[in-house]
Amino acid sequence: MRTRLKVFFPLSILVVLVLLLPILIMVIASFQSTDGSFSLANYQQVITNHYYLKAIRNSLGISVVASAVSLIIAVIGAWALTRLSQKTKNILITLFNMSASFAGVPLAFSLIILFGNAGVWKAMTAAMHLKDSLEIYSLTGTTLAFTFFEIPLGIMFLFPVFEELNPEWREISAVLGAKPLFFFKKVILPVILPNMIEVFTLLFANAMGTYETIYALTGNSIVTIPILIGTLIDGGLTANIPLACTFATLFALVMTFIVWVGNRVTRSKREAA
Amino acid sequence: MTPKTSRRVAQAIITFLFIYLATPIVVTIIYSFSTSWVKSIAPAGLTLKWYGQLVTNPEFTTALIRSLGLGLLTTVIAMICFLPVVFYANVYSPSVKSHLRFITVLPFTIPGIILVTGLIQLYANLPIPKILILVLAISLLSLPMTYQALDNAFIGRDFRAMFEQALVLGDKPFTAFVKIIIPNIRAGILVAMLLTFTSAFGEYVLTNLLLGGNFETLKIYMFRLMQSNGQASSVLTTIYFLFLALISLILIIIMQRYSAPHKSPKEVPDH
Repeated sequence: MRTRLKVFFPLSILVVLVLLLPILIMVIASFQSTDGSFSLANYQQVITNHYYLKAIRNSLGISVVASAVSLIIAVIGAWALTRLSQKTKNILITLFNMSASFAGVPLAFSLIILFGNAGVWKAMTAAMHLKDSLEIYSLTGTTLAFTFFEIPLGIMFLFPVFEELNPEWREISAVLGAKPLFFFKKVILPVILPNMIEVFTLLFANAMGTYETIYALTGNSIVTIPILIGTLIDGGLTANIPLACTFATLFALVMTFIVWVGNRVTRSKREAA
Repeated sequence: MTPKTSRRVAQAIITFLFIYLATPIVVTIIYSFSTSWVKSIAPAGLTLKWYGQLVTNPEFTTALIRSLGLGLLTTVIAMICFLPVVFYANVYSPSVKSHLRFITVLPFTIPGIILVTGLIQLYANLPIPKILILVLAISLLSLPMTYQALDNAFIGRDFRAMFEQALVLGDKPFTAFVKIIIPNIRAGILVAMLLTFTSAFGEYVLTNLLLGGNFETLKIYMFRLMQSNGQASSVLTTIYFLFLALISLILIIIMQRYSAPHKSPKEVPDH
C-alpha cells in the first residue's frame, strides 16, 4: 500500500492542482454573479444573448462540417495507409503525428501566406488573370484550415482499426460468392462503423475546442465558443471571468457526454463480439 | 481490384493527401527565401537576408530560450509523474490502466481554452508564481502523449520477472527500477520525452492567456511577428517546421531501430 501511495503521489498532486481544483472552482464560479452571490444569470445569458448564440452556432457549424469532411478523407487515407510497406507506414505515421504540432499559429500563418490577401495564391491568380473566390478569413476558410489537422488526427485514430481487418475475410466471402459491395456492407462496415462514430466524436470535440488556429487566422472576427471564452478572459474592460466559467463548464459537460457516448458505441460493440 | 492495382490506388491517395497537407508549409518555406512575391507565379528572387535578420535579433534568442526551458521542465515533470505510474500499472496492476484511460481523452473534453479558464479563476489572485502553474498545466495537457508513448514501451516483455529478480538479489525497489527497468525501456522513454517536449515547446493557448503575453515564447513571438512582418514570420515558421522535422526524423530512426521487440514473442526470463 505504501509503495502504491508513493508511485501515485506526483501524478495525484498534479491532477489535483491543475485539473480537479481549477475545474471545481470553475463550476462554482459559473453560478456566481459579478458581486459573488449565487445566481443562474450567467446561464440565462448564454441561451438568450444573440451574440453568444451566434458563437455557439459558428462553433457547431465549423466543427460538424470540418470533422465530417475530415472523417471521410481520413477513412480513405487510413485504408490506403494499410496497403503500404511497414517502413513507409512508420514514417507516415510519425509525420501525421507531427502535423498535429504544426496546427495553430504556424498553420494559420502558412494558410495566410498561401491564400491571404497578400498571399501567393492571389499573386499567382493575378499574374494569370484568373478570378479568385477563396476567402481564407471566412467561415469556409476556417473550416478548410481545420481539415489540415483533423485529417491527420483521424488517420491516426482509424489506422489501427484498419490494420486489424483480416484480408482473409475478403477471400472467404468471395469464395462464398459475395459481391464486393455486399462484402463491404455486411462485413467491413459493421466492424468500422462504431469506430467511425467514435472518431467522429473525437474530431468534433477537437474542433470545438480549437482556439489557437482560429484566433491566429481571423483574430476575434469569427466568434466561436473558444474565441468567446478567450475574449471574456482577456478582454480588459469587457472581461467577465464568471461568464467565461459558465461557457467552459457547459463546454466540458457537453464534450464529456459526447466523447463518452462515442466511447460506449465502440465498447458495446467489442463486448458483443 | 487486384492487390497490385489496389496498392497503386493507395499510393496515389497517400501522395495526394501528402501534397494537400504539405502545400502551405512548402509555400511558406519558399516565401521565407524570396525577396518579394507580388503578382507573379514565382518569387522575384531568392535571398537569405530574412534569416540573418531574425537569427541575430535578441528577441528571437530570448523567445527560443524560454520555449526550450518550458519544454525541458515540462518533460521532467511529466516523466516524474508518469514513469512510476505506467510501470506500476503495467507490471503489478493492469486494472489501474482502465482508470488511467480518462487521461487519454482529456484534451478532447477539457482542451487548453477550458482548462485555462479554471486556472485563472483559481490562481489569478493567489500569491503563487503563474509560471509554476503554467509548467504544471502544460505537463498535465501533454500527459496523454506521454502516457501512450510510455505504455507502448512496456508491451511484450516480462518486466515483473526482471524487477523481482533484482529485488531478490538485494536491490532496493528504486535502485532496481533505475538499474533494470529504465535501461530496458529507454527507447520508449526517449520517444515519450521527445513528444512531450515538442508539445510543450509549441504551447500557445495556456501561455498566452495565463501570463497575458508577458512571457514571450516562440509561438507568441511568432504570432506577434505575423501581425507586423510577414517575411520574418515566414522565417520563424520555417525554423519551427525544421525543428518538428528533426524531431520526426529522430523518432523515425528510433522506431526503425527498436520496432523489432514488439513482434518477437515474449522473452522468457532465465531463472
